[in-house]
Amino acid sequence: MTCEEAKSRMADYWGRSLAGEAEAAFSAHLASCESCRSEVSRVGALWQSLDLLPLEEPSGKVRDRFYEMLGAYRQGLASADAPVRRRWWTQPAWQRAAAAALLVAGLGLGYGLRGTSQPPAEVSQLREEVASMRQLVALSLLQQQSASERLKGVSWAYRAEPSDREVLEALVSAVNHDTNVNVRLAAVDALRRFASSPETRRAVVDALPGQTTPLVQVALIDLLVDFKERDAADVLRKLAADGQVNDGVRQQAQWALERLQ
Amino acid sequence: MRKFALWTFAVAWLAPAALPQDPQRVTVAFSDPARPKKLVVDMSFGSVSVHGYGGQEVIVETSNRAGIRAPGRREAEPPPGMHRIGPSTAPGLEITEENNTVRISSARSPFAQADVTIQVPVQTSVTVNAMRGNSISIDNINGEIEANNLNGQVTITNVSGSVVAHSMNGKILASLNSVTPEKPMSFSTMNGDIDVTLPASIKANVRLKTDRGDMFTDFDIKTDSAAQPPQVEDNRKKGGRYRARFDRTTIGTINGGGPEIQFTTFNGNILIRKK
Repeated sequence: MTCEEAKSRMADYWGRSLAGEAEAAFSAHLASCESCRSEVSRVGALWQSLDLLPLEEPSGKVRDRFYEMLGAYRQGLASADAPVRRRWWTQPAWQRAAAAALLVAGLGLGYGLRGTSQPPAEVSQLREEVASMRQLVALSLLQQQSASERLKGVSWAYRAEPSDREVLEALVSAVNHDTNVNVRLAAVDALRRFASSPETRRAVVDALPGQTTPLVQVALIDLLVDFKERDAADVLRKLAADGQVNDGVRQQAQWALERLQ
Repeated sequence: MRKFALWTFAVAWLAPAALPQDPQRVTVAFSDPARPKKLVVDMSFGSVSVHGYGGQEVIVETSNRAGIRAPGRREAEPPPGMHRIGPSTAPGLEITEENNTVRISSARSPFAQADVTIQVPVQTSVTVNAMRGNSISIDNINGEIEANNLNGQVTITNVSGSVVAHSMNGKILASLNSVTPEKPMSFSTMNGDIDVTLPASIKANVRLKTDRGDMFTDFDIKTDSAAQPPQVEDNRKKGGRYRARFDRTTIGTINGGGPEIQFTTFNGNILIRKK
């Protein structure tokens, strides 16, 4: 046993609660260790003198005060109990029955809702989110500096809903204002997807006079023929008669006029 | 804080009559050669050629070719006993560098004329717009390439990255060693062939359209008719007619498909070659 361990046992030793092997080991340590032995005898003397102090005896008044207090407590308990009348729903039996009824009702409700309205609502919400994500991607890519990125935006526009007006507007704006011919061409092609909307047809007719690049003019004329847009006749006639316009474009406009008659 | 630098050079043209072919040379450094670099060229007249080289700066050389004239202007004969001082229309070329983009333009005069040869680091994105240029040629570049020409051929050789090219009245010739994945490309011309060489391993969706030409390839292009169903209108129930239309654009896939490559020509053939 070390001095540390011996010190932790000293209190037990003085209280006389050490026994058996522990006591033997403690005694053996004391026999071998001078400092522990002197501590045990010094503090042990104090313990023994504490034992000699007389025990304090409670006086008779303490007893009287105690019974007085107990009496007052019992009285208070009785007066607090009296007005409380138990309502029927506070009865444990009723509470148990109500809990069971609620549980059954909850299970029934959950079963009823399962597989009906909830999942389709989620799916349509998800579909909406995907559509708006595609719209965002298409719109942001169409604003990029690099022509290749804007082409990517046009190919995302193919994945948008054909009813998406913002994507339609972005494509029309690309047809009218994009600085790169190839982006304008791709945007004209993508407008085909929005054919069902009269706005698209109007926008294509309006875009034609503003174009100066023959290839884009030809693509717009082809689109008008595909749309069977009779309102385009005026614009096409002007184009076919304009000496400044590329010969191929004028021929294409003439052909389109005949097709649309 | 973004580092900001602006360099402006106006190349005034006072070539002595004795040396009319003397090229003018300007070297411009990029603000930060470690960041993506870009070159933008806008020319009214003259040809533009851009070459990638081993250096880190942009070297611009212009030579005023005798004979390039603004349309409709004839050169006057020198009076007896006199000789020409030099080309009368100075190109008024302007070169700027800002935000790692070098811009070269002749926009200072609508009649400016010059042939420009530009050397740039190989890793540079290049945009060239030529109005009445004879030709645009771009060679040995790795980056995004955009070329627009009004009246002349566009020749793009030995490049990597992506190409978007258009010519109104010229041929488009492009050859790519490798392509940036997921980048769409587009080649178009009103009057001319489109002749494009692509790496054999390229994955792409192709959209091909020629109004008055033919299309050829040595790639295995899968044209999937299921991918382009006819547009059907059925108005018979309303007393109308039934109509099914097939799009005139041919859509196909190379090596299983990938980003879109568009080929559009009105009067010309489309040739897609395997490298």
